[in-house]
Parts: sequence; structure tokens; C-alpha cells
Amino acid sequence: MTDILRLSLPLSVWIAAFSAVYGLEGIVCSDHWAAAGLSLGQGRAALLVAWAAAIAVQVVLLAGLRMPRFASSLPGVQRIAAILAAVALVATVWSLLPVAATSLCL
Amino acid sequence: MVIGGTTPPMLAGCENRLSAVQPAGPAADIIATLWWVMLGGAAAILLLVLVLLALAFRRGGGPSDAAADSRGEAVWIKGLGLGFTMAVLAALSAWGLWIGERLLPRPGPGVVAVEAQGRQWAWRFSYPDAPGRVTEGALHIPAGRPVDVRITSADVIHSFWVPRLAGKLDAIPGHVNTLRIEAWRPGEYAGVSAEFSGPGYRRHHFTVVAHDAAAWNAFLAGGTP
Amino acid sequence: MTDKPRLTALRLHKALYPIWRNDPGWKGVLTTVNNNTIGTMFILGAAGMFLAGGILAMLIRAQLASPRSAFMGPEVYNQIFTMHGTIMMFLFAIPFFEALTVFLLPAMLGTRDLAFPRLGAYGFWCYMIGATIMIVALLAGVAPDGGWFMYPPLSSSAHSPGINTDIWLLGISFIEISAIGAAVEVVVTVLRYRAVGMTLDRLPIFAWYMLVVAVMILTAFPPMILGSLILELERAFDMPFFQAEHGGDSLLWQHLFWLFGHPEVYIIFLPAAGVISAILPVMARTTLLGYGWVVAAAISLAVLSFGLWVHHMFTTGIPHMGLAFFSAVSTLVAVPTGVQIFAWIGTLWKGRPRMHLPMLWIMGFFVTFVMGGLTGVMVAMVPFDWQAHDTYFVVAHLHYVLIGGYVFPMIAGIYYWLPVLTGRKRFFRMGEVAFWLVMAGFHGTFLLLHWAGLLGMRRRVDSIEAGSGWEGINLLASVSGFVLAIGFGLVVLDVAANALVAVRGRRNPWNAGTLEWATPIPSPAYNVASIPVVDSRYPLHDNPGLPVQIARGEGFLGHPTRNRRETLAVSVSGARPDFIAVMPRNSIVPFAMAVVTSVMFMAPVWKGWWLMFASAGGVAMLAMVWAWAGGSRHDEGLLDAGRGVTLPPHTEISHPPGWWGSLFLLLADAVLFGSLLFGYAFLWTVAPNWPPPAILEPGTGGPALAAGGAVLACGGIRGADQAIRRGRAPWPGLVASLAGLAALGGAAWTVFGGTTHDAHAYDATLWVIAGYAVFHAGVAGLMALFLMARIRAGFISARRCGDARVVRLWIDYAALTAALGLGAAWLPGWLA
Repeated sequence: MTDILRLSLPLSVWIAAFSAVYGLEGIVCSDHWAAAGLSLGQGRAALLVAWAAAIAVQVVLLAGLRMPRFASSLPGVQRIAAILAAVALVATVWSLLPVAATSLCL
Repeated sequence: MVIGGTTPPMLAGCENRLSAVQPAGPAADIIATLWWVMLGGAAAILLLVLVLLALAFRRGGGPSDAAADSRGEAVWIKGLGLGFTMAVLAALSAWGLWIGERLLPRPGPGVVAVEAQGRQWAWRFSYPDAPGRVTEGALHIPAGRPVDVRITSADVIHSFWVPRLAGKLDAIPGHVNTLRIEAWRPGEYAGVSAEFSGPGYRRHHFTVVAHDAAAWNAFLAGGTP
Repeated sequence: MTDKPRLTALRLHKALYPIWRNDPGWKGVLTTVNNNTIGTMFILGAAGMFLAGGILAMLIRAQLASPRSAFMGPEVYNQIFTMHGTIMMFLFAIPFFEALTVFLLPAMLGTRDLAFPRLGAYGFWCYMIGATIMIVALLAGVAPDGGWFMYPPLSSSAHSPGINTDIWLLGISFIEISAIGAAVEVVVTVLRYRAVGMTLDRLPIFAWYMLVVAVMILTAFPPMILGSLILELERAFDMPFFQAEHGGDSLLWQHLFWLFGHPEVYIIFLPAAGVISAILPVMARTTLLGYGWVVAAAISLAVLSFGLWVHHMFTTGIPHMGLAFFSAVSTLVAVPTGVQIFAWIGTLWKGRPRMHLPMLWIMGFFVTFVMGGLTGVMVAMVPFDWQAHDTYFVVAHLHYVLIGGYVFPMIAGIYYWLPVLTGRKRFFRMGEVAFWLVMAGFHGTFLLLHWAGLLGMRRRVDSIEAGSGWEGINLLASVSGFVLAIGFGLVVLDVAANALVAVRGRRNPWNAGTLEWATPIPSPAYNVASIPVVDSRYPLHDNPGLPVQIARGEGFLGHPTRNRRETLAVSVSGARPDFIAVMPRNSIVPFAMAVVTSVMFMAPVWKGWWLMFASAGGVAMLAMVWAWAGGSRHDEGLLDAGRGVTLPPHTEISHPPGWWGSLFLLLADAVLFGSLLFGYAFLWTVAPNWPPPAILEPGTGGPALAAGGAVLACGGIRGADQAIRRGRAPWPGLVASLAGLAALGGAAWTVFGGTTHDAHAYDATLWVIAGYAVFHAGVAGLMALFLMARIRAGFISARRCGDARVVRLWIDYAALTAALGLGAAWLPGWLA
């Protein structure tokens, strides 16, 4: 069961982070953000921080799954887990890139 | 292969009132360009895959020891599967994003605002520049100027689509969505609702009438178009 | 020399067969729990639905063949296209691969049956009854007509007053029971019921794919079930979840629907990819290139597919940054798809491919699916989708992906595994002709429809208009559509002829390496005569004598002395022998329960609330009869499992199969609960007409009851669990736990008193959250009562304590979700 966790954790963290950032974007673009006295610039900053944090978590997971202490005892599973952790890192960078690249709330 | 060969003859002789690939405005134009480039790229990739597939049958089979497998993984999976697809997709995504940004209804000088309300099965248009002016079934706009259509619905979900001018945007109860359209030249452009809305869906049409500057001013002043 | 092993094998068969066989005659059909029988019936049922959906497709093409067709009016046409989509997605695509999996998986994993045979039977009967109801509704002219996506407000009672929509919402939810049930079965089977030594990195590639797909079903279907539930609540009780004027939002439905709907596409594609990954190396006389990469690609595809649901909503006015997130994932998801495609082509290069019929269909897959994938990348581009969305471009794209990417590989799979299914080898040769008819018909139908879409032909229009410029394309599509139908008809005839009257074939005709080819063909009711020991991914290649060893009982459990259905469970990762699972015998309970469940789901269509509650009680009763049948009243201790190993039976381990099944069922339940909280947050942030006019006052009584109840419920069952293990009296703990659950239910009940269900979407959402808490407290309470009865009847001892663990899991879940849900319900009141 730990092996299943090793395989599923990084991408599960990705989908959680992705949904959270999408939710944050929804809040930034809703009336509640302005009502709380916050600007769109602060919204962009919050999104960028969230993106950076998501990437940092993925880097930690990738490094952790390569350490002998946390790696699987099955070589095949170890390899798949490493690939999936790399996929999750790439997915985090790629899928949330729009926080830096597109207009906000248009 | 087959996709490319079919297109030019079909263009001739049709009425194409609703053709997204016969643009009459900047938004439809840039999307049509995107389509033709993607079509060319897709045809090339399809050809590549089919050639690789065909060649697999002309060979006697390679060695299948561990070293050959790891060479195979390097070429097929890391090279083609990861490297090739990611390069193509990154370039395409960046271009798509850039186009998307250009089509957004940014505030600017000379932007005209109009309002569109869909219902089963008609469209009603109103004009903040001419308060009280309401038209049914025909939206009047000035040619050569960006127009922001503020779209909503009185009952179920509809979608505002004038294929020769721009992409579509939904009319959703309780929401107002803004679509930027522009017609290069005066004329009439066919529009349809593009979200299924029940038995009258097929007949849910409207027309966009683009006027030159003089006719537009006359329309705003209350003249019959 | 060969006589003796054959005699041993025959003796073993004669011992196993009476234990595992179905009841004789027609009764056997209703009482069977055997995966081979259920798999076969399931395949036939799903194939029948493919024909029904195909007939509707032909009606559609007949209508669109010429302009202004007077063949059907919009009222009929709308039912036809809605049912075409619904049948193909829900009644054909998903059930068909489930059926194939139910049939193949045990043999492929080297075990005797799926983990929960009665659940398989129950799911199958729910499917058959539900599918029958949908077809009867279609014939009676009351079929749903709002599109297979059922967008409100069009599907709300104001715009769709008839029972058509209710039949869809309730019927499809009912049928989804079979998907969830099959998914739980597949996950637990792949994780725990395998050949010894079949570690996770030696799992047959098809089993990997099905594990991934099963987890996807558990996480993708619940949002849709929740959506159906609340839309039905809106229709029946006017709870305004989707009505903008009362704080609802029709976009909430779209989010919930596509949270299911997009993963659904990959739920359909991945089994097909699994079939290809299993067949293509055999056809190329080699092994799969990059096993680890392909597994990683399948898992990546599965998870990434949960991050692109909004790409069905690019035209709903979501800000461009939001769209860009989903556009980015939509392109990214093409990468693991590309990895698989190139891994397969690399496999062909590595081997010496043979062009047998299954391979021909795989070639058809390559051509068609790659084209569908490329148009998929096109519509992932937000600006292009603004033009292409809801046109025939998308219709053509999705048929390329679904027919090319699913139907063709499944036909390849049917031809490939036909010897296992029927015991015969292919004799009639209509298959090749059928293939070419299908290919010509398919591309003739759909290729130019892309172009019609770009010329402005919208989806779902009930006829085409003269002078539109699409008439020629549509006539060609209709003619080709009939060629396609004839092709599929020939496939069915060819398969039927080969299944019924072809000559007997020999074992493993393709020289494959996986275990489903190690059994006699067609595979016997017990699948494997003994549980084999394997040490590679392709055990039959490394050890050609394995089938004989299995048949002679040289594996585990090769001496069936205890006269009951036994199979072996292994550890999840390392596949070491863990315990002996005793499987249930033939039983009418699954069928009976499916019938009563269908009444429970269908009664609300006619507002038969009392009938609904009565049948819900019936389902609960039958569930207890079901659960009562297992277990033992005395400790058995360690049993002989063969090969010198002794193992406990499943009743005497701490986490029995029921615990594992519950765990994954609760995963699905948790996703449903998460979707509910998402809907609450979504409405609060995005929907018009918020905040609500009145906010619930939490007070002190409700929160105190909830906190105390949660502590008491969880603490009580823990005390009872420990008492059972130490042989002491568990009653105080169980009673405390029941009291805690009652307090939780009471706390949730205060929400009903403080709100009005139809006042605002806020109130309606709170009612659902509180209802969820009450329902789960009730279920957990019933389970605790059931446990008490089991203890009194002597089924529980210090060794036989697994049942308590199962109940503990459900009580913990009920307490946790009640605390979270009620906390979310009271939060605005506390903040205000």
C-alpha cells in the first residue's frame, strides 16, 4: 500500500494545487476580493506565491522519492515513482504558467 | 493526408454565410489562420506517424536484449514521445495563449458597447449609446470599430455566435459575458445560437448588420436601419 | 509420461468443479456470482446496447441525409440524439470494458474469482435493469430530450416539465452503481488477489491500466452522481441549486458534469490502451517497449485528465487565465498519450509484427485515433475552440477518438481473447471484409463533418437547411454511415458465428506470455486449478510448463479439501501469500437487491416517496442478509494453503476484504462529499444573488452535540474494537458509539430547523450537507447494530475481529464528514 502511495502522491498533490490555484483565481476575480479591499496586483502576487509554493512542494517530493529511505524496495516501482514525480513537477510548472503569462480577470 | 485534399473544392460554390474559415473581421481572421497552420502541422504529424508505422512492417525485427530496449526507450519514448510532443505542444500553446489574449475585450478608445439577450427562441438587442432603442433579431454595429457585446439570457443557456466575425460566447442566466467582435466592412453577417435550447433550437437565428459611419450615426439617432 | 499429470489434473478439476459451478438451469443465471458467467452476460448486454445506440445513429443520419427532412420532428429527434449519446457513453462504452475486465482479470492475475463476486452480480443486474428501463422509456416516447449533458435550466422543471429528465437523472445514477461496484472489485482484486510472486512491477500491463481506470471511476463518477442528485432535488422540491434568481448557478452543473465528463473520456480510452498494450507485443512477437514508462504514462494520463474539465466550458465566459490553465493541461495530456503511441510503434520496430485480424484493427486504431488526437489538440486551443465548440467539428473529433480510440481496440480485443471466451479458434473469415467496410464507412462519415462544422453546422440541429453548403457532406456522411453500420453488423455476425460454431482451438494460439492463456479454454468456473507462482512479467514465456503445473495443483490451494470456494490473497506490493479468502456461494440476494434498488430509484419519477423509503428499507434488509452469509462461528486457526505454507482464513485477519472494499467505496464517497463542499464554495464565490438574505444561526446546542457525538462515536467503537481483541465485553463501547452517532444525526437535524429548503441556493446546499451527515450517521448506526447481532450470534471472537474494523472505518468516516460538513454549514454564522 505504501507503494501505491509513492505512485499516487506527487500527481495527487498536483491536482490539489492546480484546483486550489484555480479556486484562488476565482476568488481574486470575484466581488469578494475587491470588497475585502484588495487590488488585482495583490491578487496576481498571491497567485504567483501559490504557484511557487506548489513547485517547491513538488521539488521536495521528487527529491524525497529518490532518497533510499523513502524509495520503494521494488526497482520497477521505484523507477515509475521517480518518473511520476518528475511528471508532477513538470505539470505544476506547465499548467500554472498562465498566472505569470496571461491577463487577470478578463 | 485526406484532410488536406478536401478543402479547396468545397470552398467554391457554397453560400458560406456561417463559415468560420471565411473571416470578415479580425477575430475570425486570426482564428482561421490558427486553424490552417494547425491543419498543416497535424497533417505532417499524421504522415510521420503513418510512415513510422509502415516502416515497422518492412524490417526483420531488431535485437531485444536489455541494451537494445534502453536504446529503444531513448529514441521512441524520450526522444519522440517526450521531446517531440512537448516541443510541438509548448510552441502551439504559447501561440494559442497569445492569440487568446489579443481577442479579449480590453477597454480602449472607440469601443462600442451593445447588449444581447437570448431567449427561447429569439434575440433582443439594445444599445447603451441609444437608450431605449431595442431591436429584435438584428444587431446593428458600426463597421471597422471594435464592438463589445454584453450577452445574457432570459431563460435557458444560449450562445451568441457570428462565425464570420468571431468565436462564440454563451448567454447564461444571471451572468453577463462580454464578447469582442468587429466587422471589417459594412454588410450583413449571419448569426446563430450555438447552445442546444430545446425544440426551436435550429431556428434560433439572428443577423448582425454592420453600418458605415454615417449609417451608424443615423441608426443611433433613431433612423430606421 | 503425459498420462499421469493429465489424470491428476482431471481429478483436481472434478474436485473443484462442483464447488465453483453455477446452479443448474435457468436458476443458475439469476444466482450466479461467477466472473466468467457474469462477464459473458455483461458482454452480451453491452454489445446489445451498442446495437441499440447504432440504430439511433442510423436514424440521425437518415434525418440529416437531405435538407429539411420531414422524417422526424424536433421533439423526436431530440430524444434520439440524447439517447444515442447516453446509450453509447453509459450503457455501452463503460459496461463493455467492465464486462471484458470482469471476465479476463481473474485468469490474467492467476486467481479464482474477483474479490467480491456478489457485488459483481449485483452491479450486472443493476446495469441490465437500468438499461432496460432506459430502452423502454425510449420506446414509450418519454426518453430524455435535453442532450446527454442535461444542462439546466433547460433540464429544470420550468423548461422540461415531463418525466423524461427524471428518468435520465435517476436511471443513469442507478446504472452508475454497476460502474462503482465494478471499480471497487477491480481495485481490490488487482491489489490483493494475484498469483504469488506477481509483484507490482510484474503486473500484466492490462491489469495496471484497469487498476488506474477503476480508481478513476471511483473519483470521477461521484461529482456526476451529486449533480444528478441535486438537479433531481431541484426538480422535485424546488431547491434552487441552478436557478440564478435564487442564488443558484447553472454553471455549477457544468462544473460537476464535466468534472465527471472529461475523466470519463479517458476512463473509456485507457482500457482500450490497455488492450493494445497487451495485444500489440504479442502480435509483434516481442515484449512491450518501456513497461515502466507506459505504466507512468497511464497514471499521468489518469490524473491529468482531472485537470481539464473546464475545456468543455471555454465559451462560458470564464476569465482567460482560468481558461489558460485548462488549455495548458489539455495540451499536456497529449504528452503521455504521445508516449504510449510511440512506445507501441517502438514495440513494433523491436519485434516482427504479424498482420492477424486483431492487429488489423489496431492499425485502424492508429490511423483513426491519431487523427482524433490531433483535432483534440486543436480544440484545446482556446481561440479555435471558440469557433469549433458545439459544431460538427467536435462531433467528428469525438467520434474519431471514441470509435477509433475505443471501439476498434475493443474489437481487436474480442478477436484476440475469443479463444479464452469461447474455446474456439476463428474459422469464418468475414472479419477482414468487415474491417475494410468499417474503415471506409467511418472515414467517409466523419472526415468531412469536421469541415461542415467549420462551415457553421451546429451540433444537435434537427435538420439541415438547403443552401447551407453542407448538403453534399451530409449526404456522403449518411451513405457512409450505413456502410459503417453494415461493417459493424458483419463484425457482430462474424464474432457470433465464430463463438457458436467454429472448431475447438488449442490453448494459447498466439503464444502469449500472460496467465489468462495458462488455463484450459474456455476458462473453467474456478479459472485456475491452483494459484501459480510466477517470477516475471511473461511467466508463460519463461516457463512453458506452467499450465500443466497449475492444472496438477502444484501451485497454492491445489488440494480443495474444505469444500468451499477458496482463493489466495497476497500482500499488495510484494505479492507474498497473506491469507485464504473464502468466496461466497451462488446466491439470489444480488439479483433480488438489484430489483429492489431499481424500485428505490424509479419511485421518485412518479413522486412515490413512500415506495422509495420502503424499498430503501428493503435494500438495507437485503444488505444485512448479504453480509450475514459470510463468516464463521468458530476459530479455524492457520490452514494448509499448499506448498508447505499455512495461512489464516480471511475471517481471522485484522483488515478483511470487506475493509478494503469499504476503503475504496469510501474514497468515492469522499469525492462526492468534496464535490458538495466545492459546490458550496463555488456558489458562494461565483453565483449571482449572494449573499443569501438570511444566514443560519449556529447557536450552541448543535455544535456541542456534534463535537460530543463525534468524540463519543469514534471513541466508543475504538473501545469496542479493543475489547473484542482482548476477549472482553464490547457492549459499553458499542452503546457509546451508537449514542454518539445519534447525537451527530441530531446536530445535523438542527440545520433543517434553521433554514428553509427552497428559499435560496444557500439553504438548499445546507440541507444537502445536513442530509449527508444524517444519512451516514444512520448507515454507520445500522452497521454498529449489525455488529452487535453478529457478536451475539457468535461470529466475533478475539481472532475473528475484522468485522469490527470495518464498522470502525464507517463510523470514523461518518463522524469526520459530519464534523467537516456541519462546520462548513455553521462557518458563515460564526464569522458574521
